[in-house]
Amino acid sequence: MAIAIVVLLPILLGMIAVAFFRDVAKLRYIAIAAGAISLALILFVSQGLTVVPWLSIAGQTLNLSISVTPLNLLLLSLVLLIGLLVLVYSSGYIKSVFDQRRFYLQMLAFEAAMATFAVSGNFIVLFIAWEFLSLTSYLLIGFLYNKSSAIRAARKTLTIIFIGDLALLGSIAIFWHVFGTLEFAQIVSSVGTVSSPQLYIGVLLLLVAIFTKSAQFPFHEWLIDAMEGPTPVSAYLHSSTMVKAGVFTAILLYPLFAAPAISSIIFAISIVTLVISTLAAAREMHIKKVIAYSTIQELSIMLLAISGGAVLAAIYFFFVQSFYKALLFFSSGVVMEATGKENLDESFGLGTRKLIYVSTLFGVLSLAGFVPFSGFFSNTGISSSLIHNIPVYLLVSAISLLTSFYIVRWFSYLSKGNRRAASVEGNYISMPKSMVYPIAALAALTLVVSVFFFSIAGFLSKGGYLSYLPIQPSLSLNIADAAIFTALIAIGAALSYLVYYKNSIKASEKSLDRLIYTGPIVNGFYNIVAVITSGFSNGISEFDIRLNEMFDRLGMLTVRSGYGIRRASVGSINAYAAIFIIGILVMFVSFYFLVIV
Amino acid sequence: MVLFNLIFRVLDDKKGQFGINLIFLALLIGSATLIMMSGYSGVVANIFSINPFSTFLFLLFTSGLFLVNIIAFNYSENYKDFAVIANFALLGMYLVSASVSVITIFLGLELASIPMVFAILLSKRGIEAAAKLFIMASIAIAVLSFAIVILYGATNSFALSSYSGPFVIAFAGLLFIAALGFEASIFPFNVLIPDVYTGSPAYVTGMLGGMNKKVGLVALIQVLILIFISDKQIFILVAILSVLTMTYGNVVALVQRNTKRMLAYSSISQAGYIMIGIAAATQQGVAASLFQIFAHMFIFIGMMGIIAMLERHNRAEVDELIGLNGENRYAAFALSLFMLSLIGLPLTTGFIGKFLLFLSAINAGLAWLAVIAIVNSVISIFYYLKAIMAMYTEKDAGRPIKMGKALAFAVLVCVVITLAFGIYPQPIINLVNSAAGFLYP
Repeated sequence: MAIAIVVLLPILLGMIAVAFFRDVAKLRYIAIAAGAISLALILFVSQGLTVVPWLSIAGQTLNLSISVTPLNLLLLSLVLLIGLLVLVYSSGYIKSVFDQRRFYLQMLAFEAAMATFAVSGNFIVLFIAWEFLSLTSYLLIGFLYNKSSAIRAARKTLTIIFIGDLALLGSIAIFWHVFGTLEFAQIVSSVGTVSSPQLYIGVLLLLVAIFTKSAQFPFHEWLIDAMEGPTPVSAYLHSSTMVKAGVFTAILLYPLFAAPAISSIIFAISIVTLVISTLAAAREMHIKKVIAYSTIQELSIMLLAISGGAVLAAIYFFFVQSFYKALLFFSSGVVMEATGKENLDESFGLGTRKLIYVSTLFGVLSLAGFVPFSGFFSNTGISSSLIHNIPVYLLVSAISLLTSFYIVRWFSYLSKGNRRAASVEGNYISMPKSMVYPIAALAALTLVVSVFFFSIAGFLSKGGYLSYLPIQPSLSLNIADAAIFTALIAIGAALSYLVYYKNSIKASEKSLDRLIYTGPIVNGFYNIVAVITSGFSNGISEFDIRLNEMFDRLGMLTVRSGYGIRRASVGSINAYAAIFIIGILVMFVSFYFLVIV
Repeated sequence: MVLFNLIFRVLDDKKGQFGINLIFLALLIGSATLIMMSGYSGVVANIFSINPFSTFLFLLFTSGLFLVNIIAFNYSENYKDFAVIANFALLGMYLVSASVSVITIFLGLELASIPMVFAILLSKRGIEAAAKLFIMASIAIAVLSFAIVILYGATNSFALSSYSGPFVIAFAGLLFIAALGFEASIFPFNVLIPDVYTGSPAYVTGMLGGMNKKVGLVALIQVLILIFISDKQIFILVAILSVLTMTYGNVVALVQRNTKRMLAYSSISQAGYIMIGIAAATQQGVAASLFQIFAHMFIFIGMMGIIAMLERHNRAEVDELIGLNGENRYAAFALSLFMLSLIGLPLTTGFIGKFLLFLSAINAGLAWLAVIAIVNSVISIFYYLKAIMAMYTEKDAGRPIKMGKALAFAVLVCVVITLAFGIYPQPIINLVNSAAGFLYP
């Protein structure tokens, strides 16, 4: 039962702390300590599947299954490790005393939900965790409730996420019908033996759920709006939790998605998302939104790899992406704190604090994919696995060039100096340690986890997960591919450096711009996608607004009729009696038709 | 034994003392538990049928009244009278759940609902609500007696036994649905319910919504399952009414400004969910309905306890929930928990109940009903979350609101039950399953 302690300890301690301690500092330490203890306890968790019968009615039994395999442990340790760093970082970031209690409680609840998700062994546990993720992420995104844009963003998130939740529920019902079980192990091992059209519907619904959680086209807009949440929340949401839940489901239940028809859908969606998000990242001016678009891009790269069967490469990417992504969000938070601005062209001075500067540079280089950072291994791992498919390979190569271009652009803006603003420099210097050290720790990790590239296949093979996979996978580095990749990202980075930092090829910026944004093919494609996306997302918010308006109007109507009732209550009794009688008559008539039919 | 207890109770209640009343209720709970554990089954005094179904409901309603009494003790203007009236109503509830024929159902329903008119009248503001309830209840009585007459005319018996015969029987069924639909707050026979709920003091509302309406549903279950089980069309009609009821409740709840009125509509939508199990007409369905009755009773009474506290501070509107967390952390937590449970948050009884209901609908081939119910649950998220967000929004001048000790205890019981049986529901599922099994020999 060590696993239950690992998963639930932080939230339980957090709840006790909130109930008994008025002192916020104590709460903070308890939250951090609980996170650390949980993380340490992972070492003592024994592997295996724990099945607890939960409820049984009329011969049908539902179980709660907790599965601990290397794959589950990988995500669990990510959740707890990044969670711990996020907690430390937020102890410096969240200032207001009242907010801290709420923040820690919600954050710990979110962590517990994600940790439960990480060890789910059947659809029941997965669904419970998934619902709690939706709920807690809604609370966290709308955390700054007096900011109306935050409330709107939270509502939009909720609407899109609920589409996914409903789809998940539908797919669970279909799987229950098709397989007669909700255990992952049994479903995965019997996929090959079942062939029914219903199964496809179930898998498609599950895909919708995955796409909503992992922010794939056309559901990707919520992740950008979710930037309204506090920065530590964004860091957590984008690195190891929430958005990873979708991809992790796809990895965990890979055999369900291996059928050609399904994998080509994943392929198409991920390619579209990849292109949109990369282009958007290159033109975005909001500090956090650049990183947010890059998360979407990375999620689609993982799904692309999964659709091509390169699951192991996807898992490795999944693992290392967390570190540099959390790091870049932390840095964004620091810059936004110091300058008080949220746009790239108003931000500067990262170079003032050398430790943050170098750490962020590590993150940037890792995201771009430079040797020897982990991003290099994860990116070449995926592109090497795609090398047999030339058009896709070319596309991914172009994307990697653009990726290094936009992330160096981002970094150039932030690291520019500005003589006029000494106060901002002071802000950087006085940044609390609790915000700086997590950044440095993550920077070290972006290097350290490179080593896992060579050991991850061995690590995962113990849990039997790899035996489901149709092709016995291995991670390989194609030297030629690695060279091409490095050359491409170097070109991208150099171009970006010259354009945005040195400003030395200012003249060509326009032509570059034209090349990237307004080239006829790209432009045409982008226009179509933009129309669909904005149509979809406007549709949702429009629907939301209309719904609201309708209810408001209805509300006025009821209020007015309420006054009416108070004025003439005798009349309303007549009306009630009339409705009662009419109800009976309508029932008679409809019953008559039912009998005839 | 139960009868004995009842006579004693009615005599002793005249002392009107809170403590004695509670002791008697506790004794009743204890004796019902004993009966349940002994597995005794039979008919007492030709009126009470003791069986797993009725003992489960005995236990449920007595515990419900126990909690309502505690709330009323803190917030009622004249507790003594309320206690007597409520005990009469409880006797009616016993009669319904242990009924042997449609006549005892009729008697029990009247005994359960008429005292409530007086209970509402105890508060000065309640005259209008009481009058409305009384007039509509008399119409329902008329329809119910008409239904019984038709049934007797066609079958020559009052017994609760399966009958499929002349077409006219079906009309008796429809009249039963209408009359019991009033008691169970089924659309369109429920239009006055929100007025009554809003006009009554909160503890009476808790009893009305948590127990009286549930008695109506219990009666509906008995009549439909025991008499009309072979008439498939009736159950299709129930399914349609279930959809109408939950949709009406949820959609209208969305626009309510008054918290109690919103919760009144939400309890109507819950009645719609509970009807899913009746529409499924299987043992699993009835068990699921009973589970949801159990879940909603405790949630609703708990919510009304908190509303009673808020009403005393003149905070009736949803907007006035703002800042509740700063004023009374415990009340805000409990109310949010109850609402989340009604949404169907996993690991609470509300989730288990809904889940069982949807499962039973799917197993009975009513997948469409389950889909509509799920869509309805999504609608309900919006108004519950609005209230929850309001409670956790900060307000500048928040003075702490004191909660009575007794009330705090009652709410605590509801919270514990909602969580404990949400995490480990098997004991209750066993109970409702054997209770439903009695109707399906």
